[in-house]
Amino acid sequence: MTDAVPGEPLVRVRGLRVTRSRDVVLDGIDLDLRAGEVTAVLGPNGAGKSTLVSAIAGIVAPSAGSIERHGRVATALQDPGLARRSARANVEIAQAWWGIPRAERRGRADRALAALGAAELGDRRATALSGGEQRRVHLARAIAVDPEVLVLDEPFASLDAETRAGLLQDAASVIRGRAGATLVVVHDRAEAWALADRVVVLVDGRVVAQGEPQRVLDAPPSEAVARFLGYDGVIRRERSVLLTRAAHVTLEARGAEGSGAAGSGAGSGAAGSGAGSGAAGSGDVEGSGSGDPDGFEGSIVRVTPIEDGFRVRVVVADGELSAEVRGVRPAVGDRVRVVVRGGVEFAKRRSS
Amino acid sequence: MNYVVDGLVQAWQLIVGGDPYLRDVTVVTLQVAAIPTLIAVVIGLPAGVALGIGRFPGRRAGLALANAGLGLPPVVVGLVLALLMFPAAPLGPLRLLFTLQGVYVAQTVLALPIIVALTASAVRSVPTGLLDQARAFGAGRASVAVLALREARVGVLAALIAAVGSALSEVGAVVLVGGNINGLDQTLASAALSEVEAGHFAGGLAIGIVLLVLIAIVSGALTALQYGGGRVAPRVGARS
Repeated sequence: MTDAVPGEPLVRVRGLRVTRSRDVVLDGIDLDLRAGEVTAVLGPNGAGKSTLVSAIAGIVAPSAGSIERHGRVATALQDPGLARRSARANVEIAQAWWGIPRAERRGRADRALAALGAAELGDRRATALSGGEQRRVHLARAIAVDPEVLVLDEPFASLDAETRAGLLQDAASVIRGRAGATLVVVHDRAEAWALADRVVVLVDGRVVAQGEPQRVLDAPPSEAVARFLGYDGVIRRERSVLLTRAAHVTLEARGAEGSGAAGSGAGSGAAGSGAGSGAAGSGDVEGSGSGDPDGFEGSIVRVTPIEDGFRVRVVVADGELSAEVRGVRPAVGDRVRVVVRGGVEFAKRRSS
Repeated sequence: MNYVVDGLVQAWQLIVGGDPYLRDVTVVTLQVAAIPTLIAVVIGLPAGVALGIGRFPGRRAGLALANAGLGLPPVVVGLVLALLMFPAAPLGPLRLLFTLQGVYVAQTVLALPIIVALTASAVRSVPTGLLDQARAFGAGRASVAVLALREARVGVLAALIAAVGSALSEVGAVVLVGGNINGLDQTLASAALSEVEAGHFAGGLAIGIVLLVLIAIVSGALTALQYGGGRVAPRVGARS
């Protein structure tokens, strides 16, 4: 249990470099983990996330740079690794390893299990639990230990969507309520957004973006980061490239080619989840006529059903965009008017 | 066939009659099995855990050595130890030859590879993720070792059963080092051998039956310990 002042750095990483077999896995990492703050590390496979976790946990020695720790670091590894004992005993034994007095362990274990919605699992054999239940016990174990610095390595890995959503909801409030610093490695951006006060984007062993989640999402520093963060739409302009997410794109039906039903489908409920949300064709898309720089004529080339509607890929004159629509299923070949609100623009690189 | 019937009758009489000779030999047999096994456990469990989950140079060689020890011929072990215990030999000053303590040494030498090799094999089956997680939560070497032993307790107790069973029925090393002296270091197994050597086949068979009963009782108790502990509530419904 930490008595650090909220916001106080408990881990200070400066110029961290880690090499393995002469390969540079991490380089130039500067990072602070602060008390009361949850930091999410995002990055593609091979970005060095696990190595960063190992370095902060003290398992891997830096080749250069420094890691200053104020307090002990406990790491909940990706593999739940539960003993063949009851769930409660697993939570209690972790506290024994950490050095928590015996008299406190039962109470802490019960509180942690209850906080993660696993109170009824306490007497069950941990190794006989389902994957989602094991993850709950695993997280409860980390929460019960309550270290100054808690590192969670992909705590929601290998779970189906429904289980992950439930666990994420329970875990978020518990993790965000911690007094210590928390570093959580996640694979899914939604998990980072649900959990973190700050995100760190790691690509090729370097921190390419860090800051408040919404700020990083709204203003990614590079095309590569933007694409990693879900900017999969592109409009190529003369001197710049505009990247968009589905939330920036709204569609309006423009009359289907050979399919009235498809045309109405695209137009009946086209909506983004962000600024352009709402029914297409409403006043929300004012000023987006075909001559407007934000308006494009496009044609749907792919339709993918998603939970609340359809994700469509639209080809426009200068690029391709993704959008999400609700209502009747649009059809491939539907002509639509595309309205873009937001996105990030990057100057084109000059080729030599 | 008469020997078998006579043996069974004599065994029954020995057991229910509370024969003092049988009682003394049984006590010696239990001592000769328990004390060396205990010593082998104290030395062998840490060694087995280290060989099973440790990371150090020479680990594989150690494992090979322990496994080779499983095939040690008791007669050879007894002979070599007896030679080493002769008055002019290196262990002579300890005056172990033809003593109960000497038999303990011989039995320990035989039990140790069993405990080490089977413990190493048992703890190697513990998922590395569990041990890594323990380390990540601050567990020291001793805690990780205890965790590994607990997780592998079925295999570890199998090692114990094998060592005790081997010690209870051991003859060669006991006779060569202890001299098979009645009232001093004679065990049920070596007593059965003496009876057979004297032509008392029924008597030998009777003692053998008593020995088998003793092995069954001890092994049964250890097996109950092996599979009886650590029960937790069965699965009732699930929440993902």
